[in-house]
Amino acid sequence: MSLLLTAEDWQTIGLTIKLAGTVTLCLFVIGTPIAWWLGRTTSRLKGPIGAVVALPLVLPPSVLGFYLLLAMGPYGFIGHFTNWLGVHPLPFTFWGLVVASVFYSLPFMVQPLQNAFEAVGDKPLEAAATLRAAPWDAFFSVALPMALPGFLTGGILTFAHTVGEFGVVLMIGGNLPGETRVASVQIYDHVEAMEYAGAHRLSAVMLVFSFLVLLGLYAWRPNPKKA
Amino acid sequence: MAADTIDLDLTLRWPEFTLQVAQSLPGRGVTALFGHSGSGKTTLLRCVAGLERPQGTLRFKGRTWQDAGSFVPPHRRPLGYVFQDANLFPHLSVLGNLRYGMKRAGRGSADISAIVELLGIGHLLERKPARLSGGERQRVGIARALALQPELLLMDEPLSALDIKRKQEILPYLERLHNELDIPILYVTHAPAEVLRLADHVVMMGGGQVQASLPLREAVALPGTPLFAGQSHVAVIQARADEASEGLRLLQVAGQTLRVPEDACSSCQPGKTLRLQLAARDVSISLLHLPEVSINNQLQVRVVDIAPAAHPVNVLVRLELGDGQLLFAEITRASRERLELHPGMLVWALVKAVALAGDLAA
Amino acid sequence: MFKRCQHLLIGAALALGIGVAHAEKVTIAAAADLKYAMADVAQAFEKTHPDDKLDIVYGSSGKALTQIQQGAPYDLYFSADIDYPRELEKAGLVVGKITPYAFGRIVLWSTTLDASKMTLQSLASPDIKHIAIANPKHAPYGMRAVEAIKAAGVWDKVEPKLVYAETVPHAAQLVESGNAQVAVLSLSLVLNPQIASKGKYWLIPDKLHQPLEQAYAITKHGEHNAAAKAFAQYMAQPQARAIMQRYGFVLPGELK
Repeated sequence: MSLLLTAEDWQTIGLTIKLAGTVTLCLFVIGTPIAWWLGRTTSRLKGPIGAVVALPLVLPPSVLGFYLLLAMGPYGFIGHFTNWLGVHPLPFTFWGLVVASVFYSLPFMVQPLQNAFEAVGDKPLEAAATLRAAPWDAFFSVALPMALPGFLTGGILTFAHTVGEFGVVLMIGGNLPGETRVASVQIYDHVEAMEYAGAHRLSAVMLVFSFLVLLGLYAWRPNPKKA
Repeated sequence: MAADTIDLDLTLRWPEFTLQVAQSLPGRGVTALFGHSGSGKTTLLRCVAGLERPQGTLRFKGRTWQDAGSFVPPHRRPLGYVFQDANLFPHLSVLGNLRYGMKRAGRGSADISAIVELLGIGHLLERKPARLSGGERQRVGIARALALQPELLLMDEPLSALDIKRKQEILPYLERLHNELDIPILYVTHAPAEVLRLADHVVMMGGGQVQASLPLREAVALPGTPLFAGQSHVAVIQARADEASEGLRLLQVAGQTLRVPEDACSSCQPGKTLRLQLAARDVSISLLHLPEVSINNQLQVRVVDIAPAAHPVNVLVRLELGDGQLLFAEITRASRERLELHPGMLVWALVKAVALAGDLAA
Repeated sequence: MFKRCQHLLIGAALALGIGVAHAEKVTIAAAADLKYAMADVAQAFEKTHPDDKLDIVYGSSGKALTQIQQGAPYDLYFSADIDYPRELEKAGLVVGKITPYAFGRIVLWSTTLDASKMTLQSLASPDIKHIAIANPKHAPYGMRAVEAIKAAGVWDKVEPKLVYAETVPHAAQLVESGNAQVAVLSLSLVLNPQIASKGKYWLIPDKLHQPLEQAYAITKHGEHNAAAKAFAQYMAQPQARAIMQRYGFVLPGELK
């Protein structure tokens, strides 16, 4: 079974999983406060900010990748920031892909979370307050558990979306093996080089893997009917 | 300001509604906040809880919960809140819900078997809220608030989301609560029946303002009181249960005796204080004591005043018992003239039916 | 009334049909880097052949190969790698000769450094952090870049600094955005008016790498297309060659 693909191909799969996992975790942390605010605010900024968050849904990935490449370079604002931090520039690095993917997959995490938080509503949190829970406490002990289905959906969507990410990676990754050469790019390279058999095999493995992941996660979802 | 009261001076301005209340509420017993929907009673309750942020001051038994410079958030106020629809946490079992507040109030390992028994939820502890009936959920909601041992209990129309059967099921629990707890309870309701059965003090609200704040006995006596909204007045008096003989239970009130069927008062142990409701319609007046009449219950009373009744052909006669408690009798004008009733007269009130709060069916 | 409409329709159809019979359309698949050069050549051709229309589709030569194999309606095929038309020839999909139009040359290019003063050895310098080349796995220019770097003896030092772009223009983009300091590009790209003003280049000696023969051919689809034949012949004429050379598409003997 392990000889089904080349060592290089397996490396790209490992990298893809690492990227998707890292991005999902990052977005849990980044997306939650944004979704919380969007789900509960009455400010007039809710519409515009919601629209900005949803932008990556409609932007062609290569457009996003192109602008991120400029922004992360030495002349762009992200590049200036990494420079100021004294950190290695982001293009052609794994963490550069993580940053780009966080932008690219943001709405896939924020929107399900936002819906989940909206569904929680004010009442449970008021109940928590009357039961001596301070605001952070109420968030972690009531809002979060009640919004769990949203976290599951957001996590699955983000992971799957990042696994499939291509246009953005192509633009800013530099296609470096073990660093930025993810499975989707590898499949594309196989096709470009007309190694169709290799492309078929790698695609098949990715398809099966993705399906198993989704199957496992969907089967595990808590069923509200079971007490 | 007495240190045993709840002092409010609050203003809350919303686009279409303004709440403005300056009152001093009793620091013990059940105070009903009574009015129609939109009168501001729930809003007032939420202000007391700290779930809304009005302007003004709020002091609970001398402790400042809110003033111009400070605001104690709800999680730091020693209160319990019962919501209109229980508002239980769906992801926790009944026991989990009960323990939630307890842990945070420093009572994590306290013994709550008394509360569980009081509300009859012992067999529900492992269930999730989704598998409880409406009435069960409400009882758990009450237990959850009580488990904190709050110093103030706030209840927002706890019975309004229930059907009649459930209401009847829970009212006894609430009465037990009232009798067994020593803490003040603010009880929001629009149902006069609940006020009559539970309240010691009534705050009548409308349009975001307090229209009247009276002890119950005065609230029911108020001419045209919104409590009765055009229906027959009901007097609420306290009596003490006594022995039973010949299938009848004796109740002592103001030195006189009432008799009710013994089996209609299942928990009337001798010495127990009971709340009785007497509808004005069910009370007749006689100038003389009548031993040769089938009506067993005859109380000697003094006429206090006579006012028009809701029905134009009748009048409402206010009668006072020896201990100051009040009764009403609704009679025709013609009868009043025939008997030549006037304030100060000593007459007999003939009580045809007596409703007992909590234990007797009407 | 209806009869009159019918007459009109038939008349119109005949007129169109006659019109079509005189003017000919040629559909051409051309390698992406030919964009500016071909546009100029096509313009010149259409001036002398006013009845013929050229419809040029630019893209990856490899993709065009696959499409033609699957029956895409191209009459002429201009490929950046002569191996592709040769494949078509094997399958019997080529009519006539496969004619070279250029031998690809590679250059070093930078917007921040003066590349005209560099050599391949300069790439080993620690000042240069990233060097962009087209992915050698599938881009011929990328393969040649790797060959040249190896032939110059600096592969070990340079390889860790390489970043792979999908195409040559993409590699240029990586330099323009400041993310790579130097790129190995095609000569035709750096002579492109869009790119030329942005930086300087150094022509890599062609003995350091395999030749990159670029050629064109008439496909089976264009077998009976007179205009296609005319254009194929026109490409070999001096006017067309002059334009091609100006854009860096040179045949041996034409330039340095």
